[in-house]
Amino acid sequence: MLMGNDDAAMIKMKWGHLGKILHIDLSAGNSRVEEYDADFALKYIGGRGFGAKIVMDNLKKGIKPLDPENVIVIAPGVLSGLYLPSSGKTAFVPISPLTGIYADSNMGGMLGVEIRQAGYDALVICGRAKEFSYIWIDDDIVEIRDASKYRGKKSTETERELKEDLRDEGIKVATIGPAGENLVKFACVNSEWSRNAGRTGMGAIFGSKNIKAIAVRGTKDLPVYDMNKLVELSDKAYKTLQDHPMMKFWQEEGLMSVIDYANKLGIIPTRNFSDAHFEDADMINGEVMTSRYKIGDSACYSCPMACGNICLVKSGAYAGTVTEGPEYESAAMLGSNVGINNFSAILRGNYLCDELGIDTITSGSMIATIIDGYERGLLTLEDVDGIALSWGDDSSIMHLLEKIASRDGIGDVLAGGPYGVIRKFPQLEPIISHVKGMDQSAYDARVGVTMALAYATSDIGAHHARAWPIAKELEVGADWTLEEKVDLVIYHQTIRPLFDMLGVCRLPWIELGFDENAYAEFYSAATGVRVTLDDLLEKSRSVFNLTRAINLYMGVERADDYPPERTFNDPIKTGPHVGEHLDRDLFDHMLNIYYERRGWDENGRPSDEQLRECGALGLFKSQLD
Amino acid sequence: MDRNRDKKQVSTPQTLTLTVVPERCSGCRTCEVVCAIHNNKVNNPKKARIRVLSLYPQPVIMMPIVCKQCNDPKCMESCPTDAIYIENGIVKINNRECIGCHACVVSCPFGAIYMHADLNEPIKCELCDGDPQCVKACPKNAIIYVPQHTLGQANRLIDTLKYAHLNEMQYFEHGVEKKLSYAQIKTGGLRKDKVKQGKEPGDADGK
Repeated sequence: MLMGNDDAAMIKMKWGHLGKILHIDLSAGNSRVEEYDADFALKYIGGRGFGAKIVMDNLKKGIKPLDPENVIVIAPGVLSGLYLPSSGKTAFVPISPLTGIYADSNMGGMLGVEIRQAGYDALVICGRAKEFSYIWIDDDIVEIRDASKYRGKKSTETERELKEDLRDEGIKVATIGPAGENLVKFACVNSEWSRNAGRTGMGAIFGSKNIKAIAVRGTKDLPVYDMNKLVELSDKAYKTLQDHPMMKFWQEEGLMSVIDYANKLGIIPTRNFSDAHFEDADMINGEVMTSRYKIGDSACYSCPMACGNICLVKSGAYAGTVTEGPEYESAAMLGSNVGINNFSAILRGNYLCDELGIDTITSGSMIATIIDGYERGLLTLEDVDGIALSWGDDSSIMHLLEKIASRDGIGDVLAGGPYGVIRKFPQLEPIISHVKGMDQSAYDARVGVTMALAYATSDIGAHHARAWPIAKELEVGADWTLEEKVDLVIYHQTIRPLFDMLGVCRLPWIELGFDENAYAEFYSAATGVRVTLDDLLEKSRSVFNLTRAINLYMGVERADDYPPERTFNDPIKTGPHVGEHLDRDLFDHMLNIYYERRGWDENGRPSDEQLRECGALGLFKSQLD
Repeated sequence: MDRNRDKKQVSTPQTLTLTVVPERCSGCRTCEVVCAIHNNKVNNPKKARIRVLSLYPQPVIMMPIVCKQCNDPKCMESCPTDAIYIENGIVKINNRECIGCHACVVSCPFGAIYMHADLNEPIKCELCDGDPQCVKACPKNAIIYVPQHTLGQANRLIDTLKYAHLNEMQYFEHGVEKKLSYAQIKTGGLRKDKVKQGKEPGDADGK
């Protein structure tokens, strides 16, 4: 439990952690700093771990995501800001407006580093500001200030004006665009031009709290237990990454290289996941980007991989569009999934999403759904505001993005996410690929049962952040048991969230095979607490039980742990996996194995022992009272 | 300014110079954290001697800003207590003389001198005793430490090669594919059709 300032028995963590959490109560218009003890630090590590625990402590029966009582925790990890590869991550953790259950989304860039340098391991924001406001954190000074002049402004515009008004180019700003103000359920929080806490609707939470932005200036030292050791480890780590044969290619193409890979494997989302192979993939791949659009690299804090690609459209209808991105998910969801084969249009879509403050993945998914619905005759021309939708019609797709952000006409329906669309147009349910209200990310799950299991059991809905086992599954082929497949999903769901707890990026590990054991050494050097990777994984597993407990409390049950219905009954139409779909009995069997391997009962409830261990047993005790 | 001239006389020109290539910078700020750790022994980019200024979206630029060790430094000229001096071509601050008035910070035309509330004296690059840590740490090779006389060499080369209209041909030597670049000099020098084509793999070439 968190302890108050005056608790004499409190044992502080002296290194690594700063020991302080900043609580901002917008309704009361004040803030307070809470110190936490070593138990809390050791058990929940930081980032997503801190967020999950704090969100759980604030749960109430019947809490609605956009209620003032819902908290949003913004928590960098214990390694954020330190000298080690890619340590610029921050987790945003609330109950999500998109799904109504636990959610987290992580943002790269520098925001987390700045928050830590201001002296806080986490910001906890609750309540609702009376006036439209922004939060200004200048080390120890915390102010809630009038933001009326920024109302309706786009992301980079707001960031630029805040920097000018606060007379400091070095501050970090996290802001919402017009979509967040309009409570679009998949609005994102944007920082530094194109770093986003993209998924699960963080921007709508900001909007519901009547805040436009958070501006932070932090100047403090980050405490490191053994600096010499950290430097020694990190020098080695940077050298390993620099010498990697794929490093140069990564800096060049970044995640855009996945387009060709996913297309070759037949898992690229195409025309609302109807196909899993895009015939024009070579018009929207990494090579097209580097040869015709890319003008520069960009990187998050202390990251040698620099997977951000700054692109400029030099001619055509979208000439003058300059944006950072896209990466694979955005390019696929705003490209192949809506039938666009014009890279300039993808860049334009990416640019609009960033500026308006909406998630590229859900936007692409929702637009694809209504185009599909219209083409299949499930929607009338009147339903879609008289826009004659068709695959690849980029001008009407750009128009729809703007309609979503302003909640105009059909845009208002799409702004509700999968649940909102199904409520208005129940006939579209069979063609929406979602789990727990979160639309599926850009990997087809019909090809590999592990990916289906990953989407189905992810604690935030059908997102690849928790597990991405499909590459391994397609590599290994049929030659492994169901138990091995389940174990791979669980391993991914354990190690990948660990990165979000430490506040570092997982891409060096995933893409360049960087040794994950190094993170235990980084943790030990930073905090002075000797741990192995297994110790850390144990804590991550515990946090997964905790988020599961939150979801059960919010009403999730076994029936919600299934992949999108289409995975079972709508075979792939084209590509190397034509005709494939999943077998429901097989999946059912796998889900049983999954629960068993996790130590959960047949309805997916963790054991009392597990719940006690992660601190969530109280949730169920109060239910009985 | 006589005092400056005096100081210049006792200094000898440095041989290596620290310079940046902003087009290569990704804005990751590894240089900042490495600098602060090396010079201040703390993990705090806000105490670094080199900082990256990122501007976006229009224009997009990421510029690492660091002292250029000017030959005739404005900071030295502006210092009211003569705390700034040149030693072996490096502009240094004598902390005992410095009164913390920030005159050097504002007078530097590049804004390459910084302040931090924890520190009395300004933060300024002194080239890490001839082994700048940021140069080694930069993952994009955007910070370079080269002999002064080679500055501009890359541009000279690029421009020359562009002018010379570079061509490339492939040939095989002992069955190994090789590439040769040559300039198509218009006034009759080397011409493409005169270049003897190499042997194909499998030819009995010295085997």
